[in-house]
Formats: sequence, structure tokens, C-alpha cells
Amino acid sequence: MWALRTLSGGLGMGLLFFYIGIGLTAVLRNWFGYPEVWDRDFNVTIGYVFGLLGWVMGMGMWGSWGREWFGLRTHSYYIRGWQRYFTWSTDHKVIGVQYLATFTIVFLLAGLMAMLMRLELATSGLQFFDKSQYNTILGLHGILMIAVAVAAVVGGFGNYFVPLLIGADDMAFPRLNALSFWLIPPVALMLLITPFMGGLEVGWTAYPPLSVQTQTAQGFWNLAIVTFGLSSILSGLNFVVTIIYMRAPGMTWSRLPMFVWSMFVTAWLALFYTQGFAVALLMVTLDRIAGMGFFNADDGGDPLLYQHVFWFYSHPAVYIMILPGLGIALEIIGHFSGKPLFAYRYAVGAFLGILGLSGVVWAHHMFTSGIPNYLHGPFLVMTELISIPTGLIFLSALGTIWMGKLRLTAPMLFALAVIFNFANGGVTGIFLADVPTDIHLQDTYFVVAHFHYTIVGGEIFAMFAAMYYWFPKMTGRMYNMKLAKLHFWWMFIGFNVTFMTMYWPGIQGMNRRIADFPAAMDGINFFISLASFGLGAGFLVFVGNMVYALFWGPAAEANPWGARTLEWQTSSPPPLENFDEPPMVTGHPYDYGLPDAPAHARFGPGLPAGTPAGGGGGGGG
Amino acid sequence: MAVAATAAAHAHGHAHNRLQLNRVGLWLFFFSESIVFGLLLTSRFFLMGVDREHVDQQLGLIITIILLLSSVTAFTAETAIEQDRRRLASWMLLATILLGVIFTVGVGFEWSIAEFNRKEVFGTVFFTMTGIHATHVVTGVIMLFLVWVQLKRGKFSSRDHFAVSGTVMYWHFVDVVWVFYYPALYLIGNVVTPGQ
Amino acid sequence: MAKHVVSVVLLWAALTAVGEALVFADLFPTVGSHEAEDFDQIFRVLLFMGIPVFNFVVAMLVHSFLRFRAGGPQEGGATFKGTGAIPKVWLLLTSCLAVTTIIYPGLTGLRKLQSEANGYGWADTKGTLIIHVQAFQWGWQYDYQEYDGEKLAVSVFSLHGDGNELVLPLEVGARFEINSTGAAYDFATEEPSSGVLHSFWIPAFRMKIDAIPGRTTTMTVKPTELGDYGRDPAYRVQCAELCGLSHTTMDTPVRVVSQEEFKTWLAEQAKATKK
Ligand SMILES: [Cu+2]
Ligand SMILES: [Cu+2]
Repeated sequence: MWALRTLSGGLGMGLLFFYIGIGLTAVLRNWFGYPEVWDRDFNVTIGYVFGLLGWVMGMGMWGSWGREWFGLRTHSYYIRGWQRYFTWSTDHKVIGVQYLATFTIVFLLAGLMAMLMRLELATSGLQFFDKSQYNTILGLHGILMIAVAVAAVVGGFGNYFVPLLIGADDMAFPRLNALSFWLIPPVALMLLITPFMGGLEVGWTAYPPLSVQTQTAQGFWNLAIVTFGLSSILSGLNFVVTIIYMRAPGMTWSRLPMFVWSMFVTAWLALFYTQGFAVALLMVTLDRIAGMGFFNADDGGDPLLYQHVFWFYSHPAVYIMILPGLGIALEIIGHFSGKPLFAYRYAVGAFLGILGLSGVVWAHHMFTSGIPNYLHGPFLVMTELISIPTGLIFLSALGTIWMGKLRLTAPMLFALAVIFNFANGGVTGIFLADVPTDIHLQDTYFVVAHFHYTIVGGEIFAMFAAMYYWFPKMTGRMYNMKLAKLHFWWMFIGFNVTFMTMYWPGIQGMNRRIADFPAAMDGINFFISLASFGLGAGFLVFVGNMVYALFWGPAAEANPWGARTLEWQTSSPPPLENFDEPPMVTGHPYDYGLPDAPAHARFGPGLPAGTPAGGGGGGGG
Repeated sequence: MAVAATAAAHAHGHAHNRLQLNRVGLWLFFFSESIVFGLLLTSRFFLMGVDREHVDQQLGLIITIILLLSSVTAFTAETAIEQDRRRLASWMLLATILLGVIFTVGVGFEWSIAEFNRKEVFGTVFFTMTGIHATHVVTGVIMLFLVWVQLKRGKFSSRDHFAVSGTVMYWHFVDVVWVFYYPALYLIGNVVTPGQ
Repeated sequence: MAKHVVSVVLLWAALTAVGEALVFADLFPTVGSHEAEDFDQIFRVLLFMGIPVFNFVVAMLVHSFLRFRAGGPQEGGATFKGTGAIPKVWLLLTSCLAVTTIIYPGLTGLRKLQSEANGYGWADTKGTLIIHVQAFQWGWQYDYQEYDGEKLAVSVFSLHGDGNELVLPLEVGARFEINSTGAAYDFATEEPSSGVLHSFWIPAFRMKIDAIPGRTTTMTVKPTELGDYGRDPAYRVQCAELCGLSHTTMDTPVRVVSQEEFKTWLAEQAKATKK
């Protein structure tokens, strides 16, 4: 039993190192003359760092990597069957599936929490939960969904399909890739035990001073998020190097599929900004466990420092979430419209423009936070300028479907819905970027509706588009298309009814993150709750369809959609190193309906051996 | 359920220059790390402007010189292994390790004689910045030690020494960080005493 | 092609005409102050500009969805790649739109909003009444400092449900100076301790600013409409920044009264405070 062996190794080493860590801390505390050798938050934090190392080492990092540092021979195993998903696999396809399975479960769990919140909010007053339980559910729903939004598409579809789409045999750093994934289970564990450690009070933004003052659960939460950030940074680094250096011959920058472009930009964002979240939470942790004073105003600290550092990451983070979603939407629209992708270069420019602007807009989350007035103007201007590159993505999508021959399959429907939802989220974003309107709307349900339109409407819809698009490739089986379309219409209508309505209580003065509200808003909240239950129920269709197809679905062809890109030119699922013969890219990926367009790629051993990666670099095409 | 275990070590990335990928990866890692250090540096100025409290100038200067010196020895070690001069490389690695340890002890001593505590804001930024930096130094020392052990066991040559040059690059990076941190904590601005 | 363009334009026009009705709809809570009037107007301008943009996307999607299906009735064979003038025109138009929105109502509104460097309030609101607001977990204390140049010593301490009101006079600029005090703030000893973040928000006035430990934030409003919480929940101070357990019930009723009534109220309160 390889799975059992690996997992018990990881857990055993993790626990062992954890206890060594807390013990060592106690010894050192004694040595340095602290009156108490045991300080729960402090010892557990150090223990966690040790335990994390033990866990990843025990999972297989030691055998495949760590031994190398001591000059010992490393070994790697290739395991077939389901068990490989529970081992230290360096195959990007296995890692992609690991990410997807993990985060699909997390998504459903966090969705259930949303249902619980709507249950409480169906009417004013407190019925089902007390305030503390509600705040915990709210914080967990927030952070788990953020994790899904950051990692499900990037880690799942990114890992599985970026190497395939660029004609590589794996990611640039396979072992680092495995490490990125195996850092995730401790994150999930630490987050999911928070309700039993006193619960969360601060929501996913974890603003100090409150996050410094609250119970131990917050400390666990901080550690989880710093770990998650580390995983995110490492996978960002991996994608950047992979996309630059691992492209097949002929895969010039101007032939890169849109999803790869979006992943490229996303990877830079993750690599550049995630440190903000980690550093912000490091400061909170130091304030908590070491008695430091970053956010303690009495001793010269400043709570606003946290917000700056935090949003320095967390604004770009929304692009880490949404750009791969838009990339998927354009990718799928490009393949299902029967004509070339419209304004390819402008869409790429849009991604790069967003990459450039996303780092200089963070304080639009802080218009009411008491920052100096001179900061409002510049951040208003920069934020609204982002609408220009974003507009180009709409241009590309709308131009592609215009006069096309649309094949309205489930993935295409979801992709079109991304465009619809994101248009809504984009337009309402202007109300929040505009300082005078933001002053009132900040921290209301208007904001809640807006970001659910961008993140759920934009990215999660794209995630489902990608699931339905790539499911046959990943599993070799086909799902029921009728049920998939049913799921689409159910989710599309449920989602829009729920969140379109939610703008209104926001304007009316219903603030977010509350378990109770003025009774005057009972009616509208009851309606929203009902709609959200409808939305939630729709996922049963999805789960049923996917599970059935996974085991009993009919076998899928290699290329059921007749798409041009590389991943469809190999078997379903692809072999270990993706392509039986090395690919050579010879044409644009989206040249549909052009009779004399060359194929996107040809395969053959006739290619010169050791052809330089990346098709000899940019330009051309 | 067929479980096929092979000691295969499937040759990944055959068509690519592994060394080049590693190098780029390392540079991106530095780039990413420098954001962490940069954010802490920015936080220091955000919280205190250019004010700082009194720190031991002599000690600061000494440990700075020691760290800069260690970069020279690290560089010499790398050049030596490039020319297959293993003895020199070994000694220089040891010297670097020694200087790194002295630096860390120096920081620890500085902590013990500091006239401010970690609750007040300068203490907070001083201990955090030097602490995070010292953690990196210690990590570097461990890496240098592992490299030295492998060198002793006959590994590395002029053709195969990425572990050496990677570690040395890391060491230079940690040094460069100190080049920014030292003035920010020891030299810049007005000395204030707490309570004003 | 032309017939598709015509029908998409018609669809767009129809959707926009219906959508623009929202601009005239009363979406807002009670307009209780000058600030609220300006907010509602700017909101409507943005809505007026945003609806056609959104509906353009919708019209394109709906039309394509209905008319450009594979196997459906369409003139096939379109192969344009969008390398010509259309993207440039699009870029130009969207840039113009963005810049317009930035300038009006963005920066113009902002200029009006920022009457002073440290906090905000609309330019025509001067602070004749000065109130110190202390936010704590989980309630508010209002210290009336000054009215019409006269020093005051009136203080209202309010927790959820105790009915203590923030009382404001009509047509008088009120200036709030806001602080956050300790979680376990003891009003007997007045021992300072670190508080957490809160946000001082009155929906009827459309104004909000955070309360931060260690800083004073300010905002000004000028009530224009009589009202009280009993009849209109928009007249309430609501904490809008998650501040822990009872954040959800960190609210206080607000009452706007005539200036004479306000003077009477002040006198009563002053007496009550002395006792
Ligand atoms: Cu943002
Ligand atoms: Cu609150």
C-alpha cells in the first residue's frame, strides 16, 4: 500500500517533528530564563514550523530531494493507479488532479458554509447560531473560498494543462511542484480545526489589532495562510520558468494559447505579491507570540501598516484569481466559435497591462480607513484605468463570437457566462473605485455582491467551464452533456438572482459580516436566502454527473471537441511524458475556419534533437 | 491494482538545459525574497520615518565588515572550485561558515545589550529585521556546511558545481540585504530616545 | 452582417432604455443630508454611464447566442482576426470613457468631498457642532464638545438596544472626531488601552470613516431632513468594520431635530450630566 505508506510517513514525521519543535522551544525558553517554559501560542508556532518540515520530508521530499543535500542517492518512484494521488508524485498531471480534487472538496465545504450563513440571514435576529459561531463560519467561508479561488484553477488546471499546452513533458521543477501541493494539506488542517480552538472573529482579512488580540485559533489561521502563501509563491516561480523555458520548438510568444498567457501573468503576480500577505501575517504573528508592537498604537505601532501590506498582496490576488478565469474563458470561446480568436494581441496586451497596473491600486480598499486624503485621488485614477485593459478582454471575447459558428456545449456556456458576469462585476466595480460613492458602499452588501460577481461569476464559472472542457482529457471519460447544461442554467440563474438582488440591501445600508440586521430588511434577505439555497442545490447535479462519469461514463476520444491546441493531440488521458513524439508548433492555436491555415502542431521524431526550448524565443508568428 | 515501483528517475526535461533552469529559478527566488525584505524595510520607514534609537555603532560596523568579508571568502571558494582547486575551496568555505557564525553571534550579542525592548516600535522593527536576516544567515551557514561536507566527500569539480555556486549566490544575496538593512537600522536619521 | 449589426443595436437600445429606468428608481435610503444628496447624484451618474456599457455586452452575448449557433441560420465563413481598425477604435472609446469617468464624477466629486486634509466632509459643510466619538467593543460614546462657539459638556454613552441616541440639529454642520478606545475601556478610571478597528457610519448621511486606535479621523455632515431611528432604520450609527463578537449589534439610534429642540435637549443633558 504505497498511499498508506507515504501518508503514514508524512503524518508520523510531521507529528514527531512537531513534538520535537515544541520540546526544543521549551528547553530553549528554560535556557534563556523565561519564567514559563510553556506558552501555547509561541511553542505551537515553532512546533508547527518543525512539523511542517517533518510532514513534507516524510511525504517523500526526503527521499526524492533531501538526500541530495547530504550527497546521498535520491530515488523516485512511478506508481500507477489511484494510489499515486496520495504519494509524492512529481508528474504535473497527478499534481493537477491532486489540486483539483482537494479544492473541489474545499469549494463544496465552503459553499455549505455560505448556505449556513444564508440560513441565519434569512430573517433578522439570531436563530441558528450565536454571534461567535456566525463569525467563525463567516471567516472560514471567506478564507476557504479565497484559497479555492487562488489555487484551484492555478494549481489544478494550471499544473495539468500549462505543460501540455506548451508541448512540454513536465513543469520546470517537478519536485518543487510536488512540494507546492503537499504544503496544502497542513493548511487545510490548520484552517479546519480553528472552530475547535475558539473560532475566528476577524474574517479573512484578519485586520489587527483585533487579530492580535483574539484567541489561539487566529494563530493557527496565520500559520496556515503563511504556508499557503509559500506554496503559492513556489508554484508561481515554477510557472514562470516553465512558460519561459519549456515551450516546444515553434511555440513562440505570439502562438501561446490564451490560458497559458493568463497563467504567465498570474504566476508573476503570485511570485511578486504573495509576500505581502505572508509578511503582514508574520507581523501579526510576531505581535501575538513575541509581544512585538507593529500594530500596537500605544507603543508607536500603526494598524494601518497592516492594511497597506495586506492589500499590496490582496488586490493583485484578485487578479491571481480572475486572470486564469478570463484566460480559460477566452481559450474556450476561441475553440468553440469556429473562427479565429479576435484581437489576440490586444488580449495579450490586456493581460500584461493588468499585470503592470495591479500593483499600484491597493489603497482603493482603504478609502474609508483614515489614510491621508492625498492618497485618494491617485488610487481612484489608477483603479479606474484598469478598466481599459479589462475592456480589451471583452473586445476579444465579443469579437470572437460575433459572426461565429458557436458550438454551445457546457464549457462554452460557462465561458460565455464568465463574460456576462464579469461585465456586471466590472461595471459595479466603478462605484467602489469612485471615492464619493465608495464612502457609503464600502463594507456593505454592495461590496459582497460585487466581488462575488467578479470572483464567482468570473473565476468559479470559468473553473466549471474548464472542468467540463478538460474532463474528458483528464479522465478519459465523457460526462452527460444534458446534465451539464442543466447544471449551467441552474447555476447561472441561481447565481444571478442571488447576487443581483444583493446590491440593493447594500445601497440601503446593510453592512456585511453581520449575523443580524434591521428588521426592515427581512423581506429582501429572505428572498436572497431562498435564491442562494436554489443556487447551492444545483451543485448536486454537478457532483452526480461528475462522479457517475468518472466511473461509468463512456470512453472519451482523444479530441472530442476538435480543438487545435496541443493537449488534444495526445491520448486521453495523456501518457507519462505527455507526447509520444516530440511536438513542433507550426501555426496559431485559434486559426479556425481558415482553410489554408497550417496545423497548430505536428509531431515527429524528425525534429532536430536538443532543439532549444521556447522555439528560439519570442517574436515571429 | 498494479503498483509498479521503479527506481527509474525518469529523465525529466531532457531537451532543456537543467543548469540554466536552476539558475533562473534561483534568481526568481531571490527576486521573491527581496520583496519580503523590501516590505519589512518599507514598514520600518512607514512606522518611524527616519527616526531610530541608539544602537551600538562599533558593534554594527564590526559585524557589517565581517559579513562583507564573508562574501569575499565565499566568492573565492566558488572561483577555486571552478579551477578545481579543492583545498582552497574547502578552506574558503570553512572561513565563510566561521564568519557567518561570528556575524550571527554578533547579532545575538547586539540583541542582548539593546537599550530598547521589543514592545516599542523601534525594537519591533529592529528585532524583526535583524531576526529575519539572521535566520537567512543561519540557513546559509547550514547550506554552506552541507556543501562543504559534500566537497570533502569528493563531490564537485569545475564541470559540476552548481550546489557551490548556488549557495554562494544565496550568500551574496543575504549580504546585499544587509547592505540595505545596516544603514536603515544603524546610520540613517535622527536618534530619538523612547518616551519623547 | 449589416442586419446583425442593426438587430444588435436595436437590442442594445431596448435593454438600455429598460435599464436606464433604474436611474430614476428610488434605490436609496432616506436622503438625510447634503452628503447624501451628492452621493445619490453621483451614484445615478455612474449608473447612467454603466448601464449602456453592461447592456452592450449583454446585447452582443444574447444576439450571438441566438443567431450565431453552429448549424443555425447564419452567413458562415467569417474569418476576421481583429487585427484592423476595430480594436484601435475600441481602445480609444474605452479610454475616453474611462478618463471621463475618472474626471467626472470621480475627481470632481472627490474634490468636493475633501474639504480638509485630514478626514473628509463635503466642502459646504463646516463644523459648527463638534462631537468626539469614541468607538469601543461594542458601542459608542459621543462627547459633545462645542456648538456655535460655545463649549459643551454633554456626553452620550450608547450600547445596542439601550435607546441612547446621537442627537443632531437640522441644517448645522456637524464635525465628528473619531477615536477607537480599548476593548475593555473603563470609563471610571479612563485608563487608555488599545482598541480595535471600527467604522463610524450613518446610512442616511452616506458617510463613513474608520475609528483607529492611535489616530483621530474626522468627517463632517450636514443633516437636511428630520428623522429618527424609530421610524427609519437609515438613521442609525452602524459599525461597518468587523470588530469581533458583537460587531453585528454595534449600532446606535440617530435623531435629527430642529435647532431649537436641540438646544433644549442640550440643556436637559447638561443637567442630567451634572447630577
Ligand atoms: Cu482591489
Ligand atoms: Cu464593528
